[in-house]
Amino acid sequence: MNCWYTQSAKEDDIVISSRIRLARNLKNIPFPIKMDTNDFQKINETVKNAVKSSNTPYAKNLKFIYMKDVPQNERYAMVERHIISKEFASNCENKAIILSEDESISIMIGEEDHIRLQVLLPGLQIEKAYDIAESIDRLLCDTLDIAFDNRLGFLTECPTNLGTGLRASVMVHLPIIEGSGEIKILADSVNKIGFTVRGMYGEGSKPTASFYQISNQITLGISEKNAIDNLNIITKQIIEKERKNRESINRLKAEDICMRALGTLKYAKILDSSEMMKALSEIKLGLSIGVMDDERIMPIKLLVEGQPFMLMRKFGEMSPDERDVCRATMIREALS
Amino acid sequence: MLCEKCGKNNATTHIRTIMDGVVREKNLCGYCAANEGYSNIGHNSLAQMLASMFGDALALDRTSASAHCPCCGATFSDIAEKGKVGCAECYKTFYEELLPYVKSVHGSIKHTGRIPNRAPLTVTPQGDSIESLRMRLNMLVSEEKFEEAAVIRDKIKELEGEK
Repeated sequence: MNCWYTQSAKEDDIVISSRIRLARNLKNIPFPIKMDTNDFQKINETVKNAVKSSNTPYAKNLKFIYMKDVPQNERYAMVERHIISKEFASNCENKAIILSEDESISIMIGEEDHIRLQVLLPGLQIEKAYDIAESIDRLLCDTLDIAFDNRLGFLTECPTNLGTGLRASVMVHLPIIEGSGEIKILADSVNKIGFTVRGMYGEGSKPTASFYQISNQITLGISEKNAIDNLNIITKQIIEKERKNRESINRLKAEDICMRALGTLKYAKILDSSEMMKALSEIKLGLSIGVMDDERIMPIKLLVEGQPFMLMRKFGEMSPDERDVCRATMIREALS
Repeated sequence: MLCEKCGKNNATTHIRTIMDGVVREKNLCGYCAANEGYSNIGHNSLAQMLASMFGDALALDRTSASAHCPCCGATFSDIAEKGKVGCAECYKTFYEELLPYVKSVHGSIKHTGRIPNRAPLTVTPQGDSIESLRMRLNMLVSEEKFEEAAVIRDKIKELEGEK
């Protein structure tokens, strides 16, 4: 399966992925906070039929899955692959998802809104992700009675998503900006123009191994195009700044850090998640600036596949200590 | 300390400004702070901000807390407590109460994005504005949906005639 984290794409030395999320609700059914089992069944069936009966090229590759049929480890592994939210994985009763084979398109049914449509692509591809999301959204809006108001736009359970219901985000790798202590300056300046900087897993998550998510905060009074254009402009400026800063680092020192990280990953017998992520982050930087040259090493793929539930999905239930051993083995084998 | 503006709620937002060398202090509740444009100071998330502001609003106006949404039965205090709205109809029922908060979150109360083809034209109490109909007209024309566009064009003419 060719998922976002196994592919290389434009600007992926810095931009790991681009994501579009659209929040939609059906007009005549209460929002999830007020829904009962019948309502959940109704929205599952309604959205499933709307997608099934459509003739867009994307619909053919979409699969409808009841979350209760997905094993717990796989549900949380989906969170680690950024396919669904943690909240959706933990409270999955009555809920369903429509998923494309390559997992680039996912439609969570019954999350905070009836429909949470997500398109996730590798590298900097915000416009392309939006184009795909829009084409699916159009078919949903043409078929279903979507809750919409001329002034407030698409009506959502949380007023913070009113308007376009659009959250556009990029995941970026910023080790040098972070190292120079400039993340706060960056966060403050993007905040002034309605964007926010968060950790790798979005709202509430802490920054890990220099990975950050940048997304729009304002959804009312701004068009989809403007929100996307703004995110593109901000991202390109960040790319330029990180690349420029990378030019002035001490290459011998960078190579030393990178090689030590490689040594850890190649020889460690026990490897916890944060040590793995730190080492892979250092290797990713080394590959990007050319102090290491090995096309076989795919840091982002290993980083995702080394997450706790991704390991248990593949190798079965394990204690945290057993996982650290399994992770070390998996990485050693991948790098041998 | 009570809010120096309304004198009813506890002051939870404290603002110090320096202008022309003079230091001024303001001690406001979340509701009055939002009305003065200081809504997003010191809150970790938008949801927290909403919940705290809604709480203050209820203290100011207890009457709205007793109204129920005819569709889902939510009261404004339910919405205030969770920072989440019960259904699409709630936006109509509690439109006036919600509007200041929507404005403080987004800085706007006017949708300028995409309009779905099947969208009803009237949900907000004030009905359609000529401006919003024109936006929809332009969108339909650009999509070459001329029959639907003609209906909107006639409605604009009708509204312009009423002026």
